[in-house]
Amino acid sequence: MTSYFSNLPIIAILTPFLGAFLTALLGERKKLLIIEKCIPIATTFTSLTSLIFLIKPVLINKYIVTYWMGNWKPESQWAIGIGLEVDAFSLFIGLIIAAACFLSAVYSFRYMEEDNGLDKYYVLFQLLSASMIGFVLTGDVFNMYVMLEIMTFAAIALTSFRNHIYKSVEAGFKYIVIGSLGSSFILLGTALLYSQLHTLNIAQMAALLHGNYTPVSILALAFMLTGYAVKAFLVPCHTWPVDAHMAAPSSISMLLSGIMSKTGVYALVRILYMIYQSTGRPEMEFLIIFWGAVTMLVGITMAVVQTDFKRLLAFSSVSQIGYIMAGFGVGLSVNKGVAVVGTMGGLFHMLNHAAFKSLLFLCAGAVLHQTGTTDLNKLGGLSKKMPYTTAFFIIGTLSISGIPPFNGFVSKWLIYQATFEAGYAPVTIIALIASVLTLASLVKVIQSVFFGQLREEHKDVKEVPLTMRIPMMILSAICIFVGVFPHIVSKYLIEPAAFSIYNIGSYIDVMFGKGYAVKMFKETVSIPSMNYTLAGYWNPASWLILFVILLIALILFFSFGYKTTNSKVVDDLINTRYETFTGGEKESYNHLGENDMFWGMRQDFGRYFKFIKNAHSGVVNDYVLWVVTTCALVTIYLFTLM
Amino acid sequence: MEVLKTLLQQMFYVLIFPGFLFCFIFGLFLSGIDRKMVARMQRRIGPPITQSFYDFFKLVGKDHIIPRKASKKAFLLAPVFGLISIVIISLFIPIFGFTFQESTADIIVILYLITIPALSLVFGGSSSGSAYASIGISREMVTMLSYELPLVMILLSIGKKAGAAINGNVTFSLADIGKYQSLYGIIISKWALIPAAIAFLLIIPAEVGTVPFDAAEAETEICEGPLVEYSGLYLGIYKLTQAVKMFIMGSLFLALFFGGSGFSNIFLNIILMIIGVIITIVISVSFVRSILGRLKVEQTLKFFWTVPTALSAISLILVYLKY
Repeated sequence: MTSYFSNLPIIAILTPFLGAFLTALLGERKKLLIIEKCIPIATTFTSLTSLIFLIKPVLINKYIVTYWMGNWKPESQWAIGIGLEVDAFSLFIGLIIAAACFLSAVYSFRYMEEDNGLDKYYVLFQLLSASMIGFVLTGDVFNMYVMLEIMTFAAIALTSFRNHIYKSVEAGFKYIVIGSLGSSFILLGTALLYSQLHTLNIAQMAALLHGNYTPVSILALAFMLTGYAVKAFLVPCHTWPVDAHMAAPSSISMLLSGIMSKTGVYALVRILYMIYQSTGRPEMEFLIIFWGAVTMLVGITMAVVQTDFKRLLAFSSVSQIGYIMAGFGVGLSVNKGVAVVGTMGGLFHMLNHAAFKSLLFLCAGAVLHQTGTTDLNKLGGLSKKMPYTTAFFIIGTLSISGIPPFNGFVSKWLIYQATFEAGYAPVTIIALIASVLTLASLVKVIQSVFFGQLREEHKDVKEVPLTMRIPMMILSAICIFVGVFPHIVSKYLIEPAAFSIYNIGSYIDVMFGKGYAVKMFKETVSIPSMNYTLAGYWNPASWLILFVILLIALILFFSFGYKTTNSKVVDDLINTRYETFTGGEKESYNHLGENDMFWGMRQDFGRYFKFIKNAHSGVVNDYVLWVVTTCALVTIYLFTLM
Repeated sequence: MEVLKTLLQQMFYVLIFPGFLFCFIFGLFLSGIDRKMVARMQRRIGPPITQSFYDFFKLVGKDHIIPRKASKKAFLLAPVFGLISIVIISLFIPIFGFTFQESTADIIVILYLITIPALSLVFGGSSSGSAYASIGISREMVTMLSYELPLVMILLSIGKKAGAAINGNVTFSLADIGKYQSLYGIIISKWALIPAAIAFLLIIPAEVGTVPFDAAEAETEICEGPLVEYSGLYLGIYKLTQAVKMFIMGSLFLALFFGGSGFSNIFLNIILMIIGVIITIVISVSFVRSILGRLKVEQTLKFFWTVPTALSAISLILVYLKY
């Protein structure tokens, strides 16, 4: 069936690609710079709108949109060409990606103005956006790999974009080594699968692979899991993003951390749920949940001891991906009721993480843009100079640590519920503790960057310009909206996406004609029933009403008989009598920031922190060894248990 | 009419009972009792029970000072937010089978709502820009981290115990926990959960911020830490929050371990709840406070991650083994 919307996916992918080529053609000309700045905004906006037009057919009418590139339709039910296939899950991730790319493009408009070589920046930026959108919309494993390569190399170049800084180049090097290793694993896995099944189409692979695992396909699974774990930065393949996020410009860190990690998770979910159909396999469930829990714990404990703003955010990203994986791990459970809650929790957390982590990185970017540093030791007291950024950062902090009624709470709650009901109580406990540690690590940032003593050299710092504030504003609005109305988000986004993850049958049928899946499977694919009442979301609206009533009551109560105080300012700037002394030190020396914040904790867990810090040696050889070891362990695990 | 009636009812819940007014009076009253008990245990006469009211109203009448280094909005808003969220928790805790907000009565929601007052203390202190406050908030965060682990395990073990009997899996709903207790007897009578109850009693002082776990607000050492720059009304709000928190923790303890249907009369139930909360607070706060000295923050962390964690882990394992 052809209709107007079957062309929309290819428009969404191609426009940024075309924009990239156009920008490259324009070259580095001063006069054309303004056009070059507008092109990415226009192209990413086009992608976003074309995906928004897909909402009605895909998310509401539950239709799966397909497009065969060059009209190479399957010949006697055998896929030859590249097919794009957009189901609700693809579209869900696609929308997140396109929206984030658009916001990042708007943010870059002013943020990047002091850098040179901007034409190259925008070419790479658009390649990155296009490849990420292409990655999630495609229905072909090899096409996924190609998009991944474009993505990786654009990201590497962008990571070391500020190549006059040593750290950027180093980060780029780490990324290229570890990233290529991951890509090679993915390519190897894809090739092994192709040799087995003689097809690269996801739908056809799923149909052919149903229930007949061979040693080769299990080996391919191990390779692909490790490869995509590198992309989704699961521990111990989490070492490259930290340097990369720190070194890249913040508009790119936002994409790398908030969005690109999601493509890795997306691929893992497609492979596990769709191609290998591991739902109902306890050994797979255990592997993923265990992996998620380790990621959560290691990520957040590393975040707590960091002294760089962006590095800390990067490690906390690692830990958030752990939450997502734990949710999807529960989704593989035999118990369908619990599985649905887990999947929905994972999906919801993907959306939320994209929102608040992007927000936090943009705030970090704002601080970097205005002060020129992200070192927690060299910052302080910015809240008076940058009130908006402070407010946005606090919203982001509350969201990521899951304080109700912000969005993080809803998804984390689903994950706690799912893991506990699936019988993984230790994972629930780890998740809750990691949540407190997340809060602690970000409070450390707030205390060291926004509150406390203002530094002498930052006296003339100003608030960021409006075009940089708007993306932050939109993202914090999303954080609050999703937190207050989880039912609406769940009904229109999460539920269709979760449904389509389990709906393997029609994913296959759409490509190869009705009845193909049943013919291949020799049974109908069962889909667990789901709706949001099953997950039992809490109802923040009523809580919020109570909150507002009380707030008004309190303000009324205190405004009676309470006169405003005269704001007289005591002029004691010079007089040292009024200075505070703590521990015999003058005030300017005793600002407690960065690592001294948690010395109580570091005292007790000193050995653990020492071990974990030494393990992250920064040597690429070690990190590569970790990835290879992971691959070996996963292979051994899968071969012993499957 | 129906809408108006529910609206009035909600307003009554929020503003009078068990909301703002009740929390205000009973919280300060509880704080007075606590002070009196400690005085008696130390062979002092002690202040009258109404002393906390006098203190509060005196503070409200005083002028307040905003330090120049402070970020004004955060400094002034933080205490208000803390007070509101602690008052709202009172609506989520059922009183012997009588629930005010059924749909949201959930232990994980409460677990997170309880952290908001601590967080408001952290943000308020942090925004004041004082060096003492920054020491205080660093300790507050570590204290929070230390009691969170055993608290989570206690709540999960109760949820597992009640859920296994009610719907065969897990429950997070406080209403379900209440139902379980009215059907099968109060939870404290299940011997597998007695360690959890002891652990919970140990957590209350840390949550409320009294000796021996008050390293964050050590008056003699860091001048009340986060509160050092607060004065007047806003200091009063913090003091009120702390008093209400005592009531909340006490009534949560009752709901978790001594819940059930109680009497058939709501007024008798309320009186029972008040007496229960007073006893709980006297045992877990006043007794402990009057015989022990202050722990250092790293000792607090070590204590909570060993003794109460071990106790609650025993409960959790026993519950999983279906004892």
